[in-house]
Amino acid sequence: MEELPSITVSQREQFLVENDVFGMYSYFDTSDIATQKFMVEIQRDKQLDYLMNGLRQLGPSFSSLDANRPWVCYWIIHSIALLGESVDDDLENNAIDFLGRCQGSDGGYGGGPGQLPHLATSYAAVNTLVTLGGEKAFSSINREQMACFLRRMKDTNGGFRMHNMGEIDVRACYTAISIASILNIVDDELTRGLGDYILSCQTYEGGIGGEPGSEAHGGYTYCGLATMILINEVDRLNLDSLMNWVVHRQGVELGFQGRTNKLVDGCYTFWQAAPCVLLQRFFSSQDIAPHGSSSHMSQGTDEDHEEHGHDEDDPEDSDEDDSDEDSDENSGNGHQVHHTSTYIDRRIQPVFDSLGLQRYVLLCSQVADGGFRDKLRKPRDFYHTCYCLSGLSVAQHAWSKDEDTPPLTRDILGGYANHLEPVHLLHNVVMDRYNEAIEFFHREA
Amino acid sequence: MHGRPRKAYKPEEEAASAAKAAKLRALQSQFMANHHNKIYTKEAVDLSTKLLEINPEAYTAWNYRKLAVEDKLSRIESDPDLVKTILDEELRVVESALKQNFKSYGAWHHRKWVLSKGHSSVGNELRLLDQFQKLDTRNFHAWNYRRFVVELTKRSEQDELEYTDDMIGSDFSNYSAWHNRSVLLSSLLTRKADGFLPNKKIPDEYKLVQNAIFTDEDDQSGWFYHLWLLDQTVNVETPLLTSSWPLHGSRINLSAGCSNGSFSKLTTFGSESGSFPLVLYFDQAVCGVSSSTVTIDSELKGNEDLVWEPVSKKNSQVSCVWVARLKYISSEPCFGKEYKVKVRVGNSPGIVSSRGCNFSASYEFVFTAHVHDTVEESSQDGIVSWKDGFDIWDAESKDLNALATLDRSNAQMDSKWRQEAIAEEIDLFRELPDSKIGKLTLARLLMAKAMISDDAVKGVHYNEILELCKDLMALDSSHYQYYKDEHSVALLRKVTSSTEDLSGHLFRCRNMNNSVCLRLNNLSLSRIASVEKLLFVQMLDLSHNELHSTEGLEAMQLLSCLNLSHNRIRSFSALDSLRHLKQLRVLDVSHNHIGEHSVDTTRYLCSSPLSNSEWPQDEVGSQMPSLVTKYWDAYFVLRDLNLKQLDITGNVIAGDEFSSFVLQVVPKLVWLDGKKLEI
Repeated sequence: MEELPSITVSQREQFLVENDVFGMYSYFDTSDIATQKFMVEIQRDKQLDYLMNGLRQLGPSFSSLDANRPWVCYWIIHSIALLGESVDDDLENNAIDFLGRCQGSDGGYGGGPGQLPHLATSYAAVNTLVTLGGEKAFSSINREQMACFLRRMKDTNGGFRMHNMGEIDVRACYTAISIASILNIVDDELTRGLGDYILSCQTYEGGIGGEPGSEAHGGYTYCGLATMILINEVDRLNLDSLMNWVVHRQGVELGFQGRTNKLVDGCYTFWQAAPCVLLQRFFSSQDIAPHGSSSHMSQGTDEDHEEHGHDEDDPEDSDEDDSDEDSDENSGNGHQVHHTSTYIDRRIQPVFDSLGLQRYVLLCSQVADGGFRDKLRKPRDFYHTCYCLSGLSVAQHAWSKDEDTPPLTRDILGGYANHLEPVHLLHNVVMDRYNEAIEFFHREA
Repeated sequence: MHGRPRKAYKPEEEAASAAKAAKLRALQSQFMANHHNKIYTKEAVDLSTKLLEINPEAYTAWNYRKLAVEDKLSRIESDPDLVKTILDEELRVVESALKQNFKSYGAWHHRKWVLSKGHSSVGNELRLLDQFQKLDTRNFHAWNYRRFVVELTKRSEQDELEYTDDMIGSDFSNYSAWHNRSVLLSSLLTRKADGFLPNKKIPDEYKLVQNAIFTDEDDQSGWFYHLWLLDQTVNVETPLLTSSWPLHGSRINLSAGCSNGSFSKLTTFGSESGSFPLVLYFDQAVCGVSSSTVTIDSELKGNEDLVWEPVSKKNSQVSCVWVARLKYISSEPCFGKEYKVKVRVGNSPGIVSSRGCNFSASYEFVFTAHVHDTVEESSQDGIVSWKDGFDIWDAESKDLNALATLDRSNAQMDSKWRQEAIAEEIDLFRELPDSKIGKLTLARLLMAKAMISDDAVKGVHYNEILELCKDLMALDSSHYQYYKDEHSVALLRKVTSSTEDLSGHLFRCRNMNNSVCLRLNNLSLSRIASVEKLLFVQMLDLSHNELHSTEGLEAMQLLSCLNLSHNRIRSFSALDSLRHLKQLRVLDVSHNHIGEHSVDTTRYLCSSPLSNSEWPQDEVGSQMPSLVTKYWDAYFVLRDLNLKQLDITGNVIAGDEFSSFVLQVVPKLVWLDGKKLEI
């Protein structure tokens, strides 16, 4: 191993991506204001067309997702909710009926009618129904049977299996606990040994791998961290190294990568930014579990260090210059300036470059004709659309310490026209829909 | 969760694609019928093969095949050739499915299932893996499967290490190979395999990774491997006792009744309960501290079955800090006497780290407790001021050494090679001054060096670390808060690194029985660290910092007065860790941000505590349910504290209503916001 080649395949690929991305950025920088405004705008109408069409007819290109149809429902319906819209009654009833046919008689949802119940598709189905909202959607979920299904998927090693005779991994753990938490059916049997299992998947890098011995990965890191928070054992993880790992996944393009030395990918906007925000809020305030039964965390009590240039306390006031805001300037010099109002005291400096991240997603992942993608030159799909939009929402709200504090115009690249609904960081469903569902399922209990 | 990359469809492809989808749907419904009717004929199984070759993600079909295989195997009388034929067919189907989609969870899992039936040829599996790993060197399914095959077939870890040599040699950016290398080396080093001694192997690894880092300093792979190496150099897996209170050889003064009057210059401790805390501080979270793993040999009566409690969040039996309360007032008068107390930690096995490593180095320490008879009428109700009545620290440094574990080098570690390796790396990284990651690594190396070097040079290292953190804050503003926290940690390490540094911050409070007061105010601290060296502190001034939480202070069991004024505390929940401080009587949280916003729990988890059916039906809760509902975060913290003095002014929450609430929840309170309460 004395002589290392001067350029590796990954370096060449990285170089090509940087070339594309920085080409796009410099095109943006040299454009006139009107063009810039257009480029960073979320093309709401196009996005909604793309999503609604997808929902009406799952096109032929989705044949490989035939084992994944509740996922497609979730990706699309959650994306629509993030944009602040709802589907009409017909579509809503269709979705509820379809998911009802995916629900197995022994609990859980399969990838399509008649298929084996599967934890991931159960998660997608539950999140879809929560997002649709309303008595009919909520009560279509058989909670008792779901609890039985979750217990059947529980393995003696503390983790969960994806399906009968299926693989055990951190995804399965997360989807099981997320479902149980929303449906209010968490019990000791489900959580027993689970923290030990997740702990065994945290690598020395700090991130979390899919199974013991695996390399740390953005998707699993989100799943593992969210699970540990949901079962109130998050302090067992090495949170310092986790923070270190996750913040360093934001690369020079300012989008996130999924693993060390991988290419940037729009979907990690959610998988990596959400752990950043969760960790930051955890470090700033440790909440208490009232009776050891249900655990929860409070929002951050952190303080911001950034106050830049113009002072602008009115979130409704739209800013003409937003479109070309340069994130580095924004967060860079801020700490020298002192706060001027209590409104600003409710803000927190994110540990990642939020505006830079938004710029990556809007300029490189958004397809002008609707949909989002991994990176330039890649095709759009509903998966990337869902996680790019979810991640954008997380980035827009990363400064706000709580749901009552709306982001400032300057937190949102493209201004308030781009504002997306805030999501519940542990379940990735829109906050209002989550609240409605929680109320229902706590009344049920 | 990540779907495989899907090709864009050109219009002319749509028709073909639609035909394919129709065919798939027909296949699928036929398959479902077979599955539900448990039909395992050759035709039926072949149909599932077709389905999986088109759609490897059809997990129901993989399960169906497992059932079909079990069915076939149960019919043949263990004819090895037949078994082989059946299982080979499964492996073939998996292989062609993987060629269609090598990220299919179901396909990889099915292969594992087939292999665990006992039919495997390593050669075959590794050939297949080589094929996939060349196509996609970062495919984590393939790497996982590789580890599975290696374990199943007992292939040697040394051979696998050589494989990572090859992979890294042909592409040093392949982080998956570096990662697997760390997994393999960890295992080889832990079981002390032939030729795998840390002092020999780790320096070699530094040389290997230097090659990668210095070839391209922007390539992340090497950096993260370097971080792992540093961790291996500095940390030992087995948990160690970092410090304790009281310390070995120390002498503590205990006063009966309320603490008052002036004694020696050493810590004087008094408590109403007639007991004092015995604190053990481990370098990592452990469980299993109990009266059987920690034995106490003392003349103080009634301490035979001590109860050890983890100082951690509710329900957690794992903690770095453990405390037991030793009684020193018994029924017989025992005042004016000295008692020796011998503590043996880890005498019998049972203390285990959260990673499953045993505390093995048993440790013994002895201290002397001097009990005074000083029951006086209480002047305890006087207000405690943070301004007046403080003397500078005039104690000899040996007294200080007796109080604080300032320099407990890890005698268990053979430190020579570690120091050399770190020194070499530091020299090397000073040559890479301007890169962000170079500075960060240098700061970490210096921190590691400071941890294992002498007092004299430590200060120099810390100053350099602080400079590096400042550079990083300016250089990499998107991670500002991250470096800011690192800066706070380095600063606190510096302050606690030497007797001189620490004594500059220490004072005696005359009115408080000459209590030891540590002032760490005005240091722009955003995080608390180095608490293990401060266990003796009784008064702590953290005012005028940037703290948002008291996390870490829970270890300071002697703390009776705490000043957190002018910080960034936002809610009472951020003070949660104070609930562990049984001696805390005086708390100043004035001029923070408490109450600017209600604490929002729903954002994070299921429900607000108020919708919880187990909502407490205790006295205060039922007397003023609306106030408890409004101030629930304050309620949970304050009801567990035994405060006599509280300052809350300068927070949004402060006001008449909150004051009346506080009086109900903290009935023993004497001073609120500087005013004596009329009782």
